[in-house]
Amino acid sequence: MVTTMVNIKINSEDFQVPDGITILEACKRKGIKIPTLCYLEDVSRNSSCGVCVVEVKGARSLVRSCITCVHEGTEIVTNSARIRDARKTNVELILANHPKDCLSCLRNQNCELQAIASDLGVKNGRFIRTKKELPCDETSPAIIRDPNKCILCGRCIAVCGNVQTVHAIGLSGRGIKTRISTYQELGLGNVACTNCGQCALVCPTGAIVERDDTDEVFEDLMDPEKVVIVQTAPAIRVGIGEAMGMDSGALVTGRMVAGLRRLGFSKVFDTQFAADLTIMEEGHELINRITNKGVLPMITSCSPGWIKFAEHFFPNLLDHLSTCKSPQQMFGAVAKTYYAAKAGIDPRKIIVVSIMPCTAKKYEAKRPEMMSAFEHWKDKKGWSDDDAFYDVDYVLTTRELARMFKESGIQFSELPAEDFDNPLGESTGAAVIFGATGGVMEAAVRTAYEVVTGKPLANINLTAVRGMEEIKEAEIDMNGTKIKVAVAHTLGNARKLFEQVERGESPYTFIEVMSCPGGCLGGGGQPIPTTWEIRMKRAESIYAEDANKPIRKSHENPEIAVLYNEFLKEPLGHVSHHLLHTTYKKRGIFVWKSNGEAKKKKKEAEHAV
Amino acid sequence: MKIQDASMLEKIRQEGMAAIVPDVPKISVGMGTCGIGNGAKEMYESLQKAIKTKRAKIELALVGCFGFCAEEVMVNCYVPGQPLVILHKVSPKDAESIVNGLCRGMIPLKKALCRIENWNFYTSRVEFGTGLSSVPLWNEIPFFRGQKKIVLRDSGLIDPEDIKEYIAVGGYSALMKALTQMTPDSVLDEIKKSKLRGRGGAGFPTAIKWEMMKKVETDKKYIICNADEGDPGAYMNRNEIESDPHALIEGMLIGAYVMGAFEGVMYVRAEYPLAVERFKKAVAAAKEYGILGKNILGSSFSFDMSYVEGAGAFVCGEETALIASIEGRAGRPLPRPPYPAQKGLWGKPTNINNVETWINIPVILTIGGDAFAKFGTQTSTGTKVFSLVGKIKNTGLVELPLGTPLENIIYQMGEGTGNKKKIRAVQTGGPSGGCIPVEHFNTPVDYESLTKLGTIMGSGGMVVMDQDNCMVDVARYFVEVTYAESCGKCTPCREGLAQALAILNKITHGEATMEDLDTLERLAYVIRDSALCGLGQTSSNPVLSTLRYFRDEYEKHIIQRRCKAGVCESLFIALCENSCPMHMNIPGYLQLLKEGRIEEAFELTLRDNPMPGTVGRICYFHCQMRCRRDMVDDPVSQGDIHRYLADTMYKMGKEKEVYQRLIKEKLSNTRKKIAIVGAGPAGLTAAYYLVRLGHCVTVYDNHAKAGGILQYGIPAYRLPKDNLNKELELFKKLGVKFVFNTHVGKEITIKNLQKQNDAVFFAVGAQKDIELDIPGRQLDGVIQGYEFLEKFARGKKPHLGKKVIVVGAGNVAIDAARSCLRLGADVTIVYRRDKDEMPANALEIKDAVDENIRFMFLSAPHRVIGDIKGKVTGLEIHKMKYDGFDNNGRKKPVETGETAIVECNTIILSIGQKVEFEPAKEIGLELRKNGSIKVHQPNCRTNLSKVYAGGDAVTGPATVSEAMGLARQAAEAIDIDLMKEKRFHKLFRDFKYKDEIVPEPEGGKKINPKKLPVKERISSFQEIHAGYSGEEALQEAARCLRCDVKCHSQVKED
Repeated sequence: MVTTMVNIKINSEDFQVPDGITILEACKRKGIKIPTLCYLEDVSRNSSCGVCVVEVKGARSLVRSCITCVHEGTEIVTNSARIRDARKTNVELILANHPKDCLSCLRNQNCELQAIASDLGVKNGRFIRTKKELPCDETSPAIIRDPNKCILCGRCIAVCGNVQTVHAIGLSGRGIKTRISTYQELGLGNVACTNCGQCALVCPTGAIVERDDTDEVFEDLMDPEKVVIVQTAPAIRVGIGEAMGMDSGALVTGRMVAGLRRLGFSKVFDTQFAADLTIMEEGHELINRITNKGVLPMITSCSPGWIKFAEHFFPNLLDHLSTCKSPQQMFGAVAKTYYAAKAGIDPRKIIVVSIMPCTAKKYEAKRPEMMSAFEHWKDKKGWSDDDAFYDVDYVLTTRELARMFKESGIQFSELPAEDFDNPLGESTGAAVIFGATGGVMEAAVRTAYEVVTGKPLANINLTAVRGMEEIKEAEIDMNGTKIKVAVAHTLGNARKLFEQVERGESPYTFIEVMSCPGGCLGGGGQPIPTTWEIRMKRAESIYAEDANKPIRKSHENPEIAVLYNEFLKEPLGHVSHHLLHTTYKKRGIFVWKSNGEAKKKKKEAEHAV
Repeated sequence: MKIQDASMLEKIRQEGMAAIVPDVPKISVGMGTCGIGNGAKEMYESLQKAIKTKRAKIELALVGCFGFCAEEVMVNCYVPGQPLVILHKVSPKDAESIVNGLCRGMIPLKKALCRIENWNFYTSRVEFGTGLSSVPLWNEIPFFRGQKKIVLRDSGLIDPEDIKEYIAVGGYSALMKALTQMTPDSVLDEIKKSKLRGRGGAGFPTAIKWEMMKKVETDKKYIICNADEGDPGAYMNRNEIESDPHALIEGMLIGAYVMGAFEGVMYVRAEYPLAVERFKKAVAAAKEYGILGKNILGSSFSFDMSYVEGAGAFVCGEETALIASIEGRAGRPLPRPPYPAQKGLWGKPTNINNVETWINIPVILTIGGDAFAKFGTQTSTGTKVFSLVGKIKNTGLVELPLGTPLENIIYQMGEGTGNKKKIRAVQTGGPSGGCIPVEHFNTPVDYESLTKLGTIMGSGGMVVMDQDNCMVDVARYFVEVTYAESCGKCTPCREGLAQALAILNKITHGEATMEDLDTLERLAYVIRDSALCGLGQTSSNPVLSTLRYFRDEYEKHIIQRRCKAGVCESLFIALCENSCPMHMNIPGYLQLLKEGRIEEAFELTLRDNPMPGTVGRICYFHCQMRCRRDMVDDPVSQGDIHRYLADTMYKMGKEKEVYQRLIKEKLSNTRKKIAIVGAGPAGLTAAYYLVRLGHCVTVYDNHAKAGGILQYGIPAYRLPKDNLNKELELFKKLGVKFVFNTHVGKEITIKNLQKQNDAVFFAVGAQKDIELDIPGRQLDGVIQGYEFLEKFARGKKPHLGKKVIVVGAGNVAIDAARSCLRLGADVTIVYRRDKDEMPANALEIKDAVDENIRFMFLSAPHRVIGDIKGKVTGLEIHKMKYDGFDNNGRKKPVETGETAIVECNTIILSIGQKVEFEPAKEIGLELRKNGSIKVHQPNCRTNLSKVYAGGDAVTGPATVSEAMGLARQAAEAIDIDLMKEKRFHKLFRDFKYKDEIVPEPEGGKKINPKKLPVKERISSFQEIHAGYSGEEALQEAARCLRCDVKCHSQVKED
């Protein structure tokens, strides 16, 4: 497509820009920053905040630069008393109803509203509060919404509805009573929300945040009775550096391990160990389904947002999901059984903390199915239900870990590089790439190919499934059997593939789905901001780590071999079945069927506040 | 039966015509929502019953609304050969006489409003009949004069539920013409030529909108009729659909033909059930006759209609929000582009036009675009329907050519307020519009002119406001509407309106500062500049337009904490107190009197008014004009009561204690010297407060005594001088120094006064008679009104002949006339307007009438006639009649050409007074054109430092209490300027009395104090009014409804 260039004037200077781009974009290209609180590239053009206004010659009123396109001859002024007055006033208007608790807000110093207020030199005091205080939505185990901090920019609605196609939230009420709400005000925990946390990632203020569990973790770390061990997801090592003030995508595996050790974790393990384990189980499950004519395509199950999405929107197709637990949950189950026995620790005293790029993992850890270790020991030890424990006790996001580091006075950039503990700290390159979209697929192919064909893979890099394209596909020849695979990130893209399955038109044998844009590296628990540029940098680091790993195929992980040898015996075996596989629940969209039930739940939600 | 061609249409036309002009008598009842609300349905049933009982050969039918809401229920009567007569304000009890009359071929004319001999339906012409010339033609009565009914061509004259009647008056022939003889392009050409602009409010050229849509090539297009009429006070569209639904359908069909749309949607408010019902019936009938559906009128063109009832969100009038609403989404506007013509309903190109726009279309095709463009102005063609509501006598729908001056609508068609209240402004365009003040009523009503005034045409609501409307409250009300109707999407509208409302609430509660006003104004501009949709952008118009024209009123609310109109309840005790220029706590002293605490009642009165006995006799009683007791029977005579309090106290000699208290509590000596020029009501009032504040006050006057007009203007029969002089003692007791017989500017220079004092207050009054420039005015026997009164008061008896003519109708004129009467003359008052327009106090006029003073109304003096000795022998007058209105909305008297000569010996000219203060020029005091002193409100500062002014010298001739009120205000301001602190409140104290709501009105009818019999009156200058006895005063005080008692209920907000 040929782009036509047009001549425009910005602040009396002539420029040439492509026809039809927005004024905001045109100004950005010419080095002029236009403040905005609602616009977000690729996500939202809600045009609601009224901050990005500029003057355009011929227009009666100010125009919004985020939605107004340039044409030949457009003359734009970006800085005048009239513009500054409008921008400032609109920010002041927002601030009038915004709580003044910046110092104790999770987004302190990383808040777009704070930054814009500061940039525009907004003075406070002209306006009074006109809104009534609303209760916080604390119904979700993963995400907390504080409507009082909401500036109604609409980004969360856009990302939830347009990117993720979940539509868990929307606008309700009108005028000053307008708010972002869930179906019947039931709260995120009681509606078809996948807990993906993308809303928190795009929120310009502290209105949507992860549920903060750092206090609880600190408390357990101080408890001499408890053995607190930690696992870190692949995407943390390319994210935590950012949160600690380093460059985007900084690869900081060793420092991260050192930092965790300084926090007082008794063992620093790696979820990547469990990722290798996942490949062993999932690879065999796939081979099993292919050979025994099981339900195909098989779809990965590592991403808990995706699992809940499938349960809500495609409850009749749950057979397509791999029964494998996610690496986080496999880790928890193994840690409190195999490792507990090996280290001679009472599993009830072990606290497993996961550091995840993901808010949905907080929900996953609390699913009732996720108590396999307890079930494993229960009869053997004669424990009662009072002794029950989850496989994973706490899930902290990258942002929460950064907070713990800061609170503990850890100078992150000064830390030495340290190694993970054994045995659950050993991992391969295949496990690292779990953090990027396409990674699970690539890792699975590396193992499945060799298991099926018995031959080593000629080219270990399956580049067809790397990158940020919406849906990627590849064809793999396994001993003459050609199978087609596909990879989708974002739930919107996953929906497209699942709809294909629903129609019976899916050409694929195996599909990888990650809920978040870019995969786990773009997860809802990652540092803010997370833009496409930043995602790309994180992905680069992920693939660099993979390339540097001495072992790059899961089935070659020596500790995995030991694990099977000593404990699990074989993939898909009896022990695996109990500890490493799970079941799913048909949920449907309307979680609460009857109105009465919904009302009851709503009352409970209000009461909880 | 489906109409296939022109001949079938013609056949139905003839059938329909037989129903409109039948060969038997016919009665049609106006059954719009307004008519039904006033009882049209009951009327219809009564007529039905009467016809049945009589077995009369009379046809009974329903018609739409003829637009004159104030006159509902309206009934059309027709007898073959006679004109159609419209009866107004009929009720079921008239049914029988109507039917009886019609049986005999006679239309009962008792309730006839007007007659129609022939009617231009624009799509045809119908002759009814002639005769009955005693009934005015429809366009001869004020409400209809100047109206041009194009949109409302059928309203009130055909049965909206009968398609045949619509066809009979030329309906659907424009569509037939378009489908059979014209191409879409040639139809569009006519619309272009007509220069029709969208009637929804913004005035976008209809042809351009259509053309944009026409050009888009796609499989499906929609057209929508926007009937989401939501402005408070606007109901044109409702009536248009109710009265003529087929005209709307025809307009849409023609539009669809041009634009290539096959589906139409009517978006109508659910609150308009009758409109919805009639529209549905019309669609069904049109389908039956092959006018909607496939192959319309035998052509290849097909089109279908559906309707959607809107849930009443104001923002759904905005087209993108309207589309969202039709699609079942929340009505929130989307940014444009894309425009609906590109991407509209269900993503398809969509055209939206207002009801009225559509209804104009068939007329344009019938008479041609060029002919249509001749109506209205060059840029705003055609007519516009307005709903005239609010403080206006003739409420209703008026349709007039665009460009008609606003004053014609308000004063001629609306006939003003219909009472003595003055119109202040008109609000057009609903919450998105603005207020137009009286000064701009000569503005032609068209799109551009209204925009220039800071408002918009809108859909056509016109809310008239009078002196009892507080303009701040008006702005607050409209902001409250848009605040509640904001969709909540964008910051400026959602948050900004909430803040604007909060500030406006602060202002109306007297809690705002001038900074708040500044914030409000700047905020209003930001909202206008940066809101996303039309609703938001225009939502600050009510604020901006009232700020533009009534800023002083905002400032008065903020600085003085006063709401002159008496609307903002936090700012006054009660309406009487608020209307009183001196803000006397009337309910307070009434209650104290009721409780038998007469001394305290007197003291409370005295603190607000140093001369309660005097003012109680001669006041204009502003308080009574807003007394709520008036709604029950008559206002409470508060003035007579404070006069009673004073008289009684003086009689008992009890006032001394109270005086002593005031003297004792004088604030300590400030050593500030203040000179007051003029010892009239204003000068005395200022002196009273300033001396009590501890200042050294000297009052200068050129007369020998204090009192000004009280002493030298008002005759003794109204104000006995003993009483006045008694009250004047207080001033001396308080320490006010008087310098009499001294002309400031002559014996003592103003420069010196300025030098010797810390402040100078000019209260020189307005006593100079305005001279009437007529031939012969210099003749012997012509005297000036005030001059006459003053000389007489000073003891100079004038030489009056037997017959005296007084020219003028103000208080001075009446006083002069009644004085002459008492001097034995035969007196006639000559006035160029009529009795209702006389500016004098109504009670005085009544007394004058009782005393047999003669009046000649609508008579303007033309020439004084004298004899050879130069003595007056008569006055030649011009007979006058009313024609049109002046700037204040008063009827304008003009000469009829007829003259008359009235014999007389003396002529007293008293057409008014003005300020004359010669020394002003020397010292450079800034004056207004009329000679009055210019001051800054509210602090009464003149352009000179240390110099203040108040009373009539500032306002021009006004009432005594107004002069005193302004002086009180000036005293407070002077004290603040001198002392740099607020001390005025120290002059008052709280009186505790019962605050109980009166459950039922008590006290019975108003008690009129006894008056001297007329015979005794006219022979002396003895006081006429005896005043209340103790018993009477108590009884009268009991009549107070105590609207000052406020109960604060806590209503829990949702």
